[in-house]
Amino acid sequence: MGFDRRAFIQLITGGTVGILFTPVVWKLLDDVSIWTQNWPWIPTLKYGEKTDRPTVSKICNSGCAVNVRTVAGKAFGTEGNPENPLSRGGICPMCSNGVQLMRSPNRIKTPMVKGADGSHKAVSWDEAMDALTGKLQAAGSSVGFISGDLTGTANEVYSAFVKGAGSDDFFKLPGSNQAASRAWNGLMGGNGQIGYDLPNADLALLVGADAFESWGPTVWNQKAFSDARPMGEKPSCKYVFAGPSQQNTASVCDEWIPLAPEGEAAFMLGVAHSLLQTGMTADASDFNAFKTMVMKDFNPSKVEAAIKVPAASMASAAKQLRAASRPVVIPSGNSVAAHAAAFALNMLLGNLNRKGGMTTVAEFPLVVEGAMTPAETYEKDVVSWFAKGANPDVLITADCNPVYSLPVEVKAGFMVAIATEMNETAAAADLILPAAHPYERFDDLQTPYGVSSAVYTASVPVTDPAFDSMAPADIVLKLADAAGSGLGVESFSEVLMAKAEMIGAEWDDYFGVPSFETEAVAEQNGPSLAARTLAKAAAPVRGTGAVALAPYTMLTVGTDRQATTPNAPCVVSRNQIIGDTMVVMMNSATARKIGVGEGSKVKMAGGTGSAEALVHIYEGVLPGVVAAPFGFGHTVGDEFSKGKGDNVYKILTVTSEAATGASVWNGSTVNVTKL
Amino acid sequence: MEERKASKRCGGVLPFFIGFLLSCIIGWAVIPPLFYTEVEQPVRFSHQVHVEGQGMYCDSCHYFRDDGSYAGFPSNEQCAQCHMVDDPEGVMQAIKDKVGDDYEKVLDLSEEEMPEDLTWLVLSGDEEDRKAELEYLVKYAIPGKQVPWINYQYQPDNVFYSHVAHRDISIAELKESEMDLDGVTVTPIEELEDSEQNCDLCHVKGIATNDTPPPFERNIISGYSKMTMKMWQCERCHAQMGQSNACYVCHK
Repeated sequence: MGFDRRAFIQLITGGTVGILFTPVVWKLLDDVSIWTQNWPWIPTLKYGEKTDRPTVSKICNSGCAVNVRTVAGKAFGTEGNPENPLSRGGICPMCSNGVQLMRSPNRIKTPMVKGADGSHKAVSWDEAMDALTGKLQAAGSSVGFISGDLTGTANEVYSAFVKGAGSDDFFKLPGSNQAASRAWNGLMGGNGQIGYDLPNADLALLVGADAFESWGPTVWNQKAFSDARPMGEKPSCKYVFAGPSQQNTASVCDEWIPLAPEGEAAFMLGVAHSLLQTGMTADASDFNAFKTMVMKDFNPSKVEAAIKVPAASMASAAKQLRAASRPVVIPSGNSVAAHAAAFALNMLLGNLNRKGGMTTVAEFPLVVEGAMTPAETYEKDVVSWFAKGANPDVLITADCNPVYSLPVEVKAGFMVAIATEMNETAAAADLILPAAHPYERFDDLQTPYGVSSAVYTASVPVTDPAFDSMAPADIVLKLADAAGSGLGVESFSEVLMAKAEMIGAEWDDYFGVPSFETEAVAEQNGPSLAARTLAKAAAPVRGTGAVALAPYTMLTVGTDRQATTPNAPCVVSRNQIIGDTMVVMMNSATARKIGVGEGSKVKMAGGTGSAEALVHIYEGVLPGVVAAPFGFGHTVGDEFSKGKGDNVYKILTVTSEAATGASVWNGSTVNVTKL
Repeated sequence: MEERKASKRCGGVLPFFIGFLLSCIIGWAVIPPLFYTEVEQPVRFSHQVHVEGQGMYCDSCHYFRDDGSYAGFPSNEQCAQCHMVDDPEGVMQAIKDKVGDDYEKVLDLSEEEMPEDLTWLVLSGDEEDRKAELEYLVKYAIPGKQVPWINYQYQPDNVFYSHVAHRDISIAELKESEMDLDGVTVTPIEELEDSEQNCDLCHVKGIATNDTPPPFERNIISGYSKMTMKMWQCERCHAQMGQSNACYVCHK
């Protein structure tokens, strides 16, 4: 018997059949099928302990108290902090995207310097800090600083640093906070930060304040509204909105009084006129002068002629305010006169530091030696500074985007942007320093403007840093050290711990200060009604364009500091943008007058620029007014913001308010041409 | 006729059966082990030392969190409850002073040659245990790195397995029920001892008391563990226990 070809084939056949009776083939097929599901680029989940870490999120201007959800130390979501009175479990649309922003491809990952060709090149932190220290030493006192942080102790560090350099040029971004402070702490001689006790009010007159989508502490406001309007029950608070267009807030208010932005102060004094006629008084040294001024210059028929609001509307508002037990009037915008008029109206209603009224919240004491108080910082008007030709040798911007949002040209010999994301200011800066995201740094949140009681929240880093970044306050502390004007502390965490101790809050190394609230009210020393100033400042001043511009802010679209966030575009409506073109709203009478219709593409020229938009006809806009959203028109940014719409900040008309000297743009007008 | 003769000369169908038999032997006994490569745990962790020697319980390290999720492997923070390194930077510097920047080289030294800042941290008595503990301290605890423990029961991300949902399955009851769980459990039910804890149903028998962890057997193609349960195993047990086998039960 030999082993021939036939035997070989039989052996192989037997082997082949035999292998099918073993697990080899089937196991191989199974393993290969699993292997095809495991490619290296498929993301894998992180496993570990899930925690909710309380922190502060300053992506929105007011700041939110949030819980960051982490797994194995990595952040994956953000929710409102139910234990904090500012949030009570709620969160604004911007801060809800905190994690997405933290991991955004648009994050600044390393320090960068601008080269001769205008492009930015990565450098080490040591190189960047050495370069900046050299510039600061050469600049002497020609140093300016713009902070986008409206609520943090970081401003104490910044302002003390600027003061240490021999400069007074520390600024916050303009807005209602600033106007309120300049009116109350400046003009009227009051103390403390103004708050509005919305949770306990039974009538709220919102004068231009889009309280439920952009003005003030929006989450806190929304919670107050929600509590006052329980489903199926009688509302405990009536809301009246006076403003140029019906956005989210006006659409849920009980009454809308159409009012052009420049007419807010006059409107409120017209209401005050009706109240004074009924014999209402205020405990103020200049009450008689105020009464004389209002009775003479702001009788409702005169005001009606000036601002086109029917006298009956003002009388009705006054009647409702008088009849209410706990009324409160809330102003907005950046007109100091409008804020002073609102505060005078509140004092006339006798609601100062009363339940449901206007409160003067005690400010937390300063902890950094040489720092400016909030009121001192708000006296500094950054728009006016640049308008007068300021061109500091070194300008540092932190957590803000003034190149995009200020309606004036930002100039500096050497500009430094401390920012988390690339934006217009960073792109224009000579030096970019990557700022840690709010979840990656120590930070705090002191009573956001509008909240009626003093609330302090401080946070520790709740997740590992995504990039080689540093908290802006820590950067400035290092600069101060290098410049030899050390502020006596090594890190911002030390500053916050000292702050917590000073105000009596308990600091926890893991949680910071999740929530600390006091009812402390700032003592007053006979505030006035600013009669003399209001006599000159309250008259409406409108630009010369054909149509008044009523810009509005929606947190889903963006603010002066922050472009739209990654998940927000899906809820931005066709009333704000279609495709890449911004949408502006006007009523049919206005459209007819300027010869446009639904969907018309128009060019709006105003201020020093122009913007393109599509027209949407909406009867919720005052005749003669075009409502346009702030927040679009970024030239630098991520895929959600860059090249989307146009920038309304560049078509604002900046004027200096009579008597107060404040930079205002509530009288902005535009000329609209059909394209 | 010539063809038939030739066939007989080759032994008829004998080569076929030889091939068949050889394939079966190779396919059952030789090839299957070649699908796996053995990987040791990063540190020789002795359950025996910790459970029998120190009186620790399984849930001292492998516990359920307040939200019901399972902690799995212990982290450095948990280990630090006993193996605390107060001044890791100081110890690391002491090691670098001894061996230079290639700091793990300290493990090549005898204990007598190691810096005292390191050796006084060691709690173990036996030489082998001290060696393992030093490895843990030098490689993980001092530099603050988590130990990349290897999971014998690794499941992919698309499977949601809840330990807490399976916590109350009783080995004794399974034995009494006479369910057909052949091949479902890692160790046949009848070979398992009745115990308050049922870890042995799915994990290596006796893992809780072994002195040296068994090597992890990694499939060279799929990368999965040899002990990773397949879906049919989950489904069979679910079916026999009267539990739902709907997709969403495990695939969220």
